[in-house]
Amino acid sequence: MSEISISVHNVSKNFKLFHEKHNTIYESFSGFFNRAKNYETLKALDDVSFDVKRGEMFGIIGKNGGGKTTLLRLLSRIMKPDKGHIHTNGKVIPLLALGLGFHPELTATTNIIQSSVLFGIGKKEITPKIDKIIQFAGLKKFADTKIKNFSAGMQMRLAFATAMQVKPDILVLDEVFAVGDLDFQEKCYDAIMSFKKQGKSIIYVSHNMDAIRTHCDRVLFLNKGKVESIGEANKVTKLYEDFSKSHSGEQVNI
Amino acid sequence: MRQIIHEMWNMRNMIFNFAISDIKIRYKSSVLGIIWSLLEPLLLLGVLFFVFSTLFKFEIPNFPIYLLLGLITWNFFKNSTNFALSSLVNRKSLLTQIYFPKSIPAISACLSASIMLIIELGILGVFMIILGYTPPITILLLPLVFLMMLAMIIGISLPLSVLNVKYRDVEFIWGVVIQAGFFVTPIFYRFDMLPEYIQNIFQFLPTVQLLTMAHHLTLYGTFPSDNTIIYSIFMTLIILGVGYSIFRKLQARIVEEL
Repeated sequence: MSEISISVHNVSKNFKLFHEKHNTIYESFSGFFNRAKNYETLKALDDVSFDVKRGEMFGIIGKNGGGKTTLLRLLSRIMKPDKGHIHTNGKVIPLLALGLGFHPELTATTNIIQSSVLFGIGKKEITPKIDKIIQFAGLKKFADTKIKNFSAGMQMRLAFATAMQVKPDILVLDEVFAVGDLDFQEKCYDAIMSFKKQGKSIIYVSHNMDAIRTHCDRVLFLNKGKVESIGEANKVTKLYEDFSKSHSGEQVNI
Repeated sequence: MRQIIHEMWNMRNMIFNFAISDIKIRYKSSVLGIIWSLLEPLLLLGVLFFVFSTLFKFEIPNFPIYLLLGLITWNFFKNSTNFALSSLVNRKSLLTQIYFPKSIPAISACLSASIMLIIELGILGVFMIILGYTPPITILLLPLVFLMMLAMIIGISLPLSVLNVKYRDVEFIWGVVIQAGFFVTPIFYRFDMLPEYIQNIFQFLPTVQLLTMAHHLTLYGTFPSDNTIIYSIFMTLIILGVGYSIFRKLQARIVEEL
């Protein structure tokens, strides 16, 4: 087996920022005759390349709008890159927001099944594990409660517990622990560590530099869609902190 | 065609799961919920029966059966395309968080509608017993008509589901199409009651041909004409092919459009 679990080669992704978006057929027709360019191109990612090794926890940091979430969406195949290519070795499970795309009108148990099925795990395979998932999430009383009645923390716990049972090879986490309490965060980091020992990789996005320094092996610093720096965690986080300080003058004080 | 069937087979778990959760969400997991959705066509049946058998004195043999068969067939078309229309838009959060093939929601919507169709056909059976109507042996071929219809409906539902993400007025346009289709299709009248020049135009509508086939098999005990069968198969394949290629083209950037 190869040592690389993710390799990203010269990936670019552009978005069209519409001044006025055409959302109806009528508007598209009238826009067709009025050919003024009504959008700007935003380079969300510009020529990004990096590799992630097996058993590595890889951090991604950067300011809001730096392209972090776009990169995670490309890694988890939700979007396709415009240029370049991404190769992943094994099953990627993304935790990009609260929940794994949970449906608010369905119960916790039904949502566990739905998400697992979407990740290619059959209903028969996941049903015996449901108790374990609910227990790990600490939601024993709420197994048959609809997700719409869950708090943000509860949704995150359920999502993380489900993701771990689906047995991913690569786990993609986007600032998910911010809503969890400290006890659960500890539990998650323990789970992640044992996960790492099995030779699996974690991509971790956070604004919490302490968490990044303690847990990540290497860190990528994205600035306006470009790779600003990539390397050892302490070094890159230091660079990012200095960068933030020197650029804080640009921001308007309220 | 083979590609679609192959794709559907690989994704059967997801499709069934979505179809079941669709029905659960729509009817809030209650038995009464499904009963309400069945009451709607029955009420419509009552109204149409009253209007056309007593007021306009239409002389169609076995009019209640004729009417109910038409309503059920039309409902299948209406339900599945309407379910599919909102299937991707309703799963906005799922689409931006997990990768899955974009064809699943629309196909599951058609499957949910098929489950409703089977329940409604059961009601038709009950009506036949109550009215003491013995259908001809050709009724055994009726499932083939609905299978062909399902293929055609999938061909319409796939592009509708992505078009509705891109253009939000598709929903309203389709509402008008469904309204018009109800009157253009021979649900509460016999097709040959229409003036000939209108017949010549409307006969090209695939729903008209499919319902005509259902009438032949359920009520007249005759086989549909060769022309009807060949035309229906031809149209089904065309709609499926064109619909799938529109869908394929549009689905690639759908997450960015949300």
